[in-house]
Amino acid sequence: MDRDAVREKSLARYKQERDWFALLREATKLLPGEEGRLQEKLLTILLDSKETVVDCVENEKSFIAGYFCNAPELFHAMDLPWYMLMETPFLAASAPYLLSDIEGAENMGIGTDLCTAIRLPIYYIENGLMPVPSAVLGLLYPCDGAPMLHQVLEHNKAWKDVPIYSCDPPYTSDERAVEYFADELRRMADFLQKHTGKTLDMEKLVEVCEESNKSYTLWQDYNELRRNVPCPHGWEIGGAQAFAISQCFVAGDPRCTDWFRQLYKCGELKIQEGKGASATEGWKEKIRLFWFDIMPYGWIFELMPWLEEEWGAVIVMDMFSNFPYTLIDTSSEKTIFHGLAKRNLLDAPMIRQARGTAENFSNDIGRIVKDYKIDCVIWPGHMGHKDGAATTGIMRETCRELAVPFLHIGLDLFDRRYTNPEEVRTKVSEYFRGMGLG
Amino acid sequence: MARFDEYIEKVSRYIEEMRSGGARAVEFDHPGSPEQLREGLPIGVGPNANPGIVLRSDTFVELGNPQAGSCAALLWTDRPSLIRDGRITLFGPDIQESADASLPFGQILTVGGNDLGQEDHEKLQQAQHVADQIEGYMVRSASQNLWSRISKDAAAKGFDFETLGRALMDLVKTGAPAVSAVEVLFVTTSKADVKRLDGIVSGVREINREILKETWKARGYDLDCDFDCTSCKDQEICDDIRDVIVARKKKTGSEKDGERP
Repeated sequence: MDRDAVREKSLARYKQERDWFALLREATKLLPGEEGRLQEKLLTILLDSKETVVDCVENEKSFIAGYFCNAPELFHAMDLPWYMLMETPFLAASAPYLLSDIEGAENMGIGTDLCTAIRLPIYYIENGLMPVPSAVLGLLYPCDGAPMLHQVLEHNKAWKDVPIYSCDPPYTSDERAVEYFADELRRMADFLQKHTGKTLDMEKLVEVCEESNKSYTLWQDYNELRRNVPCPHGWEIGGAQAFAISQCFVAGDPRCTDWFRQLYKCGELKIQEGKGASATEGWKEKIRLFWFDIMPYGWIFELMPWLEEEWGAVIVMDMFSNFPYTLIDTSSEKTIFHGLAKRNLLDAPMIRQARGTAENFSNDIGRIVKDYKIDCVIWPGHMGHKDGAATTGIMRETCRELAVPFLHIGLDLFDRRYTNPEEVRTKVSEYFRGMGLG
Repeated sequence: MARFDEYIEKVSRYIEEMRSGGARAVEFDHPGSPEQLREGLPIGVGPNANPGIVLRSDTFVELGNPQAGSCAALLWTDRPSLIRDGRITLFGPDIQESADASLPFGQILTVGGNDLGQEDHEKLQQAQHVADQIEGYMVRSASQNLWSRISKDAAAKGFDFETLGRALMDLVKTGAPAVSAVEVLFVTTSKADVKRLDGIVSGVREINREILKETWKARGYDLDCDFDCTSCKDQEICDDIRDVIVARKKKTGSEKDGERP
């Protein structure tokens, strides 16, 4: 498929997604209360981001494809629209064609042991379903699977001439590593300037990072609210959205800060009213869970509401809600790049766990279990997270020391057929019963 | 086990320098058992002593906001003679005089016990995470800084650094019975003083990491791969291969701008 054909086909898909989310936003307008406004604000940010990419494709403006851990504050400071290469798997079950796309990837002959979040974009590239950008930012971390995607796009007819840059992630996590990665980000910024015609204005970058700091400050404030018993929100509101708003659309935009302000307000209101995650009459929080991974976006509606209603089990914390971040020191160019490097090399979710050394697993579990009064740690064991599979023993022993039950399931977060939701529910129920929870 | 002894001495020197520099200092003495430490405290200490959270609007004083300055470390030794059990040293303003303030905050816990060993390390580190164990005191859930809030209710009951120091000593001694002596240092004078203290104990993080690695290794788990380019005996060959790839790409003209060899 040549570039023109891809342009038309990908635009059609992108517009379809945009229209779907526009419909959802209209529906949220009908939701009462502050939480309705929260969802509306989120969808507005998401939709604007989609609209911008559509505009770029239609009018041949510069835009890029990259990842959340490519320091998106830099894109904003350069006024450079972008979309995430692995976007669709994270759009939850709200993307109605997820399963047929996974089947499409299988029919291409891609190994089914490759992470579904990587298989899907490979399928999209090969089938002309993703807009071809002006430049691509690759990802050599957190896992070895991610570069597969770049190998595919480098050989695809429509994508092969798109310049690509991948920051080189050092293995270690010390000061030298952060400095090294800061230089990689500088080179990335040079690359983007060269290939998109955009310029990096340092004053604008300071402004963006300061706004980003405001968002992160509010995020941390909000996370403290989740320590409350009962937790003010469950799986539906909070962490995963906070991650998306802070890192996946227009990082460091005042609308993002406004969303976080609204999030805090919603959480505080719930605590003041003594309400927990579910609005069901007579409902009570019984089990506080730490879901140590991405949410099972491919079949989330088949597990999470059930956990809350059947067991009173609330996802109080998850991998993407965790807050290991530090604010960016905006006093100089050097400190800004240092802060961005730390955030994107050491702190960003999944990167923190899969690139980082295994101590992050044990330290984070120790901290989160104590702070958030966790009753059970669930390591879902996503088939793509083979790095994590290697640390299951460490996680289990850490939990034993903390005297908190640890459940390892083994599933695919995006493909419900791998371990179907019914099996997962059965396994969870048996475990809760066996452990005397709930 | 003298891995932290060097830092214990450095912290002692820091205390002396602060004193000789004229920093406002207060000292309290509370040697004794956990029960003795708890006796007469104005707030509760122990599991679930702080069942709720301290909201921003309920906060009397904030400690260790990264913008104000924050530093924390726990140092331990099997030579308790290096430590004066029960001593709490405060440099700078106390809680009761700091309503609505955001104070810089340095906290060093120095712990000693004849039988303390590497196997106690993780337990001691965990003891620092007070979670819900001190009434009216909430340490924010951040992995790097020690950033905390003291509630208005706790302040009204008389919560001050003497209280906090005693509560921390109680938790450490309760959590690790091999501990026979605990000393606490609090610094709230200025961001610069906290930063200097942070510089002094910065090497502690690396030691913590090393101990963690060794402990897990003894249990059969490798936290880290002790192997990188700088330690690889084949680095030269690898570098040659990279050079060949670059040369080949240049020759065939296949090197795209921005692409790495």
